[in-house]
Amino acid sequence: MEAEFALKTEVRGDVLIMATSGYVNNDGGQQIASVFEEYHAKGFSRVVMDMKESKVVNSIGISFLIEVIEKLNDNNGKLIFANLAPSIEKTLSIMGLFNYAAKESSVDKALAALA
Amino acid sequence: MEPNIKLKMTLPRIPDIELVAIEGLDRMARHMGIPEEKIGEAHVLVTEAVINAFEHSGQSRPVVRIEFTMNQEKLIIFVRDYGKGFDPGAVEQPDIDKKLSSGHKRGWGLKLMETMSDDLLIESDDKGTRITIIKNLK
Ligand SMILES: Nc1ncnc2c1ncn2[C@@H]1O[C@H](COP(=O)(O)OP(=O)(O)O)[C@@H](O)[C@H]1O
Ligand SMILES: [Mg+2]
Repeated sequence: MEAEFALKTEVRGDVLIMATSGYVNNDGGQQIASVFEEYHAKGFSRVVMDMKESKVVNSIGISFLIEVIEKLNDNNGKLIFANLAPSIEKTLSIMGLFNYAAKESSVDKALAALA
Repeated sequence: MEPNIKLKMTLPRIPDIELVAIEGLDRMARHMGIPEEKIGEAHVLVTEAVINAFEHSGQSRPVVRIEFTMNQEKLIIFVRDYGKGFDPGAVEQPDIDKKLSSGHKRGWGLKLMETMSDDLLIESDDKGTRITIIKNLK
């Protein structure tokens, strides 16, 4: 069964990497938004969302990513998703998130795209 | 005709209970040799239908019934709640451009179900909502 949501963060230069694991539900989405906000307040505007360890999301959790994108748009920031499972990629695509965020097949490729 | 297999569950409202429904579906799908891609999309359909049934029922102690009927060709997901019902025609279509500047970022569940399913039937009245979702598996 899909695990409980957890979030790890890592900073590489001026890029914030947030790595999710488990079910991105309402609580998970809120955690993503509040951790992002912490770093955004410190000036981080380039973000990689590594979703390799998440296989299940729901629309409530993902709607918090729209909040992240909105804040990044305000200061020319950039969000790149990495390691998306096909059904998560499809979910984000239906929601139109790729009009405002990019996707790459690995964190390294996402970092290269931001460099 | 391929034989159908069926799974019926009554879900109580406890956190992330939709994952239990998904787990049951996975077990059936693996037995039937259904492609991973289709299973992943079925996860989204089940998750959104179940969370809506609990969240919007307006009941203090809601229960949700779910039924999967599967053969090699297709999956039928039936989800029923006993809540206050709604008018699907009155639900506004979400739009990312509008959501970006709005305080209300949610409202994507029905759109995801419509887009990822092959057929979606919503029957709703003041005794509750019944959602029947067809997903082709080939
Ligand atoms: N089972 C249900 N019972 C009552 N109302 C529902 C049900 N499912 C959906 N709705 C109504 O449809 C709206 C849209 O649902 P959805 O697209 O999943 O977005 P969200 O759940 O984020 O509001 C809900 O806000 C609710 O008003
Ligand atoms: Mg919903």
